[in-house]
Amino acid sequence: MSEVPAGLPEGAEPAPGGGFNQFIGPFYRLPDREEGAVRRFCFVAGEKHMNAAGSVHGGMLMSFLDVAMSRSTRLGTGAQRLSTVALSTDFIGPGRLGEVIEARVRITRRTRTIVFLSAKLVTGERILVTATGLWKIPAAT
Amino acid sequence: MTTPLPPPGYRQTRLIDPFEIYVGPVFEKGEGVGRQYAFRVQAHHANLGGRLHGGMLMTFADLTLGQAVWDATGNASCVTLNMQTQFLNAAHEGDLVEVLPVIARQGRSLVFARGDFTVAGEVIFTASSVWKLLGQD
Repeated sequence: MSEVPAGLPEGAEPAPGGGFNQFIGPFYRLPDREEGAVRRFCFVAGEKHMNAAGSVHGGMLMSFLDVAMSRSTRLGTGAQRLSTVALSTDFIGPGRLGEVIEARVRITRRTRTIVFLSAKLVTGERILVTATGLWKIPAAT
Repeated sequence: MTTPLPPPGYRQTRLIDPFEIYVGPVFEKGEGVGRQYAFRVQAHHANLGGRLHGGMLMTFADLTLGQAVWDATGNASCVTLNMQTQFLNAAHEGDLVEVLPVIARQGRSLVFARGDFTVAGEVIFTASSVWKLLGQD
């Protein structure tokens, strides 16, 4: 597939998106693990994503979490309209220029209108970020 | 993509992080600790539904709370350890998002910074963060 650059993990496909997602992306979806229990996404850290200290900017990492956790909520529930309610992020280690940064997202619990998720960002097997979040979905009618 | 002009009373913030420059501009008023910040929501900050993307708000939070930590510590080298964010309401293209960061506590190695982010005086987003000053135990 011509839109997927070389060096991405096997099975990477362009993730749909416009607006801010497109502005700060591109993002890619990776094959699920554990029969869909773990949704995976990635991006390649480029010059525009960095801070002056040479690490991937925390705002970019949180933006990627928002993209990956929103998409996972959509995939896991089928909800078309959803919104981020809360996100807590721990910054464990820095991301560097050129690294493939991967999100691994799990839905912890889903109620009628609320989805609880946990996520981590890794490069290789090194953990950069762990996060938990709360998303709101419309009640099924 | 047209660059928005500073809102009345604001001047453009000098940014050095490539990602902040990329998503900016950001504006400020006041001096030192107590500086207030703002950005104007542009089309590329929104998602396809026309609402401001949460990622841009969290980036603005990291930028402004980080600036407040810098101001409070005399530009000490620091990293974000944790950030907790809550999304109270939506914002849209054209809105001006403003924040007055608060240093909740400044310890020897940890600084706690938070902010309420408003549009037209209504809080739409809150962020609470912990920063580590590098080289301090």
